[in-house]
Amino acid sequence: MPKLIIDDIPVEVPPGTSVLEAARSVGITIPHFCYHPALAIAAACRLCAVKLLDGPVKGIQMSCSLPAQDGMVVSTTDPDALKMRSLVIEWLMLNHPHDCPVCDEGGECLLQDFTIAGGHSRRRYVGKKRTFQNQYLGERIHHEMNRCIECYRCVRFYQEYAGGTDFGVTGSAGRVYFGRFAEGALESPFSGNLVDICPTGVFTDKTGRFRARYWDYEFAPAVCQHCSVGCNTSPQNFQRELIKIVARRNDQVNGWFICDRGRFDKEYLNSPQRPRDPEIGGAPGEYRLALEAAANRISEFCLQNGAASLAFVGSGRLSLEGCLVLAELARVVGAPFCYFTESAAAQGSLAAVRLLNEQNAARVRDIEKAECIALFELDLMEEGAMLSLAIRKASLAGAQVFRVGGAREGEKHPLPFRYQEVATVDEVPFEGGSKGVVICGAGGKSPELLSYLASSGAKLVMLQPGPNAFGAALVSLERKGATLSDLVESGQIKAVVCFEADLPPWLLERVEVLACADWKRGGLTEKASVLLPTTTWVESNGTSINYEGRAQRFLRSRPAGLPLKGLDPKYYSSETEAVALHPPRVHRNYIPGGAEREAWRVMADLMLELGGEPVNEPLTGRWGKLRDLDPEGEGVRIYDLVSAQDLS
Amino acid sequence: MPILTDIKEILTGLSITFSHIWRKPVTVQFPEEQRPMPPRFRGSIVLTRDPDGAERCVACYLCSGACPVDCISMAAAEGENGRRYAAWFRINFSRCILCGMCAEACPTLAIQMSPEMFRCKRQVMDMVYEKEDLLIDGTGKDPEYNYYRHAGIGVVQPRGSSPGEQEPADPRSLLP
Repeated sequence: MPKLIIDDIPVEVPPGTSVLEAARSVGITIPHFCYHPALAIAAACRLCAVKLLDGPVKGIQMSCSLPAQDGMVVSTTDPDALKMRSLVIEWLMLNHPHDCPVCDEGGECLLQDFTIAGGHSRRRYVGKKRTFQNQYLGERIHHEMNRCIECYRCVRFYQEYAGGTDFGVTGSAGRVYFGRFAEGALESPFSGNLVDICPTGVFTDKTGRFRARYWDYEFAPAVCQHCSVGCNTSPQNFQRELIKIVARRNDQVNGWFICDRGRFDKEYLNSPQRPRDPEIGGAPGEYRLALEAAANRISEFCLQNGAASLAFVGSGRLSLEGCLVLAELARVVGAPFCYFTESAAAQGSLAAVRLLNEQNAARVRDIEKAECIALFELDLMEEGAMLSLAIRKASLAGAQVFRVGGAREGEKHPLPFRYQEVATVDEVPFEGGSKGVVICGAGGKSPELLSYLASSGAKLVMLQPGPNAFGAALVSLERKGATLSDLVESGQIKAVVCFEADLPPWLLERVEVLACADWKRGGLTEKASVLLPTTTWVESNGTSINYEGRAQRFLRSRPAGLPLKGLDPKYYSSETEAVALHPPRVHRNYIPGGAEREAWRVMADLMLELGGEPVNEPLTGRWGKLRDLDPEGEGVRIYDLVSAQDLS
Repeated sequence: MPILTDIKEILTGLSITFSHIWRKPVTVQFPEEQRPMPPRFRGSIVLTRDPDGAERCVACYLCSGACPVDCISMAAAEGENGRRYAAWFRINFSRCILCGMCAEACPTLAIQMSPEMFRCKRQVMDMVYEKEDLLIDGTGKDPEYNYYRHAGIGVVQPRGSSPGEQEPADPRSLLP
């Protein structure tokens, strides 16, 4: 363990740590552009200069590429180092255009920060600035090459980390150019990370182009709700509209990055079609009245048909809080409840939850350090794209990757690593199994098949069919949930009350929908006699459990309500005002279209109407330990809270 | 003699008083009459246009960020040719303290403090000015400045033709 002194602070770090990281470990930030903890060292920007006063090397050195060694005495504030850094900044700014006011990076730009910090305010160089033509890189990423400072972060990420092949660096000397060979959309499903990783504004998010500034964003720690990986994100909202989603670091889940689906697939959150007002028989009404109508319909139905012919339906889209309160609501009414609509999908999910435990559930670290990885019949880029980067890391370190069952139908993206095709999982040479990982999708797999995969002795990744399907399956086991298709086929169920559920058309035809609470429209909301709008993950606090059983908390990042942009004319004072572009000049003490509530609160309110106890804290019993889960932390694996073996 | 000195002092004072009585008064009947204010007076706020007649404001949010009383709000949008502009721009003058921080922060000289006094209103909502109310048909101070001519992003002229810029480089060339 090398011991060194940085700015008079003694530091001891593991061997191989750079001086920059060593300084960071004691709270000293050395300015840098090209260094990124997830990427290879380039030492291209020369900004992280420090002066070594004593030790094995002396003088000005680049701290990102200098491993900490015993006896080093480092000064980050030495006048020579400061002078060097301010000159580097001035030199990086030689060609930088004067366009910060119209640059979307402005306000969150490392180059801005370090230019101010380096004290550079007047251009001394009298030569001309070099310019470039930009490229069209698709509808998601805007390219502005004049702003480039040649730190090589983009190309190191795109080619080395994400395995993309259609983006690189060309040119020489002062004409180094980062782009594609020919204009066109970037092919990698991780291309959106260029926006996060660029220290200045070369790559900016076109979907949020020219909309807002960093200091005006409302944001909070969130968990991506697209697949069961549960990547950590930070949604950035402005005037009740989601402008951008950026990655948030969690080394146990997604590292520094997220996939493009998690970043760009966000239109549904701002959609004007989202149900915003409660509806009773298709007509908008007040929340209180809609709740009473739903409760009346449920009581009447139970009187006529008996509570057992009504089912409360949730899904893997519900947060853990929603799953728990749904079970409670069903208990108050005396009706069955389910989180899974079709028995094939349910069996797989439940079996996966039963099979996984603290020992065999693979962490991302286990995938990265695996020696042998088997991908079993799944479209990884669709079901859990971020895992492919962990597999790529393992593959580059020498792991063998096998694909069992070949490519799935409709795969959009090639896998970003080398693999061998094999016909059955028996051909995969797990040696001893300690460093092997099997990756499969749990939904729709038979329990026998899953336990056979588990018997290989390798660690397991069983991707769930929904962002919180793991949590739903756990609660289903704990509270004895049913499956809707079984209930309907046995003829027991005549009506359903749905909370953020998705029913396939054949099931929807066979049941009456008494009430439905959801944040998106579909066949279910159309058929429901009472519709109660709920909030999406952006407007809710909640907990979701990812494929490996890691519970993560997400927080509300904006209040519920219609985005200010494109607000319906009915919220304006007059029709003449409505055609004006500005927001209404009307004072009101509520947010237009802000009647949505979190699904579990809707359930709790409904429960109160039906004569149940009020619910103030949805996480009760063994789940109570998750109440103080840190949303900024790494999340906790739930295996010591609840063991699926006791549940079944 | 002290009494004579006292009389002299009193008369000196009264002579000043009387000279002022017969002077033309400096008071003007505001708002019917208005005095011309010095050019750097911080009166009401206007949005100016560049010498080519286009809006100078690029909706960069620096004025609203700098405003100590949060009286400026806006929404940026993208116009034709990649021009950034304010879809709407609102100043709540009932909250504004006319401190001039917005004009100081403005990188495009769009928002300026005009020397004209801000008028009182009877309705608070009448003091909430929209972009239509703020935008004037002139350059205000600094009549020559057009931000986009210096920005180097090719909005009012082809890329690489702003003053102090080279022609766009050819990234395919490996010549020195």
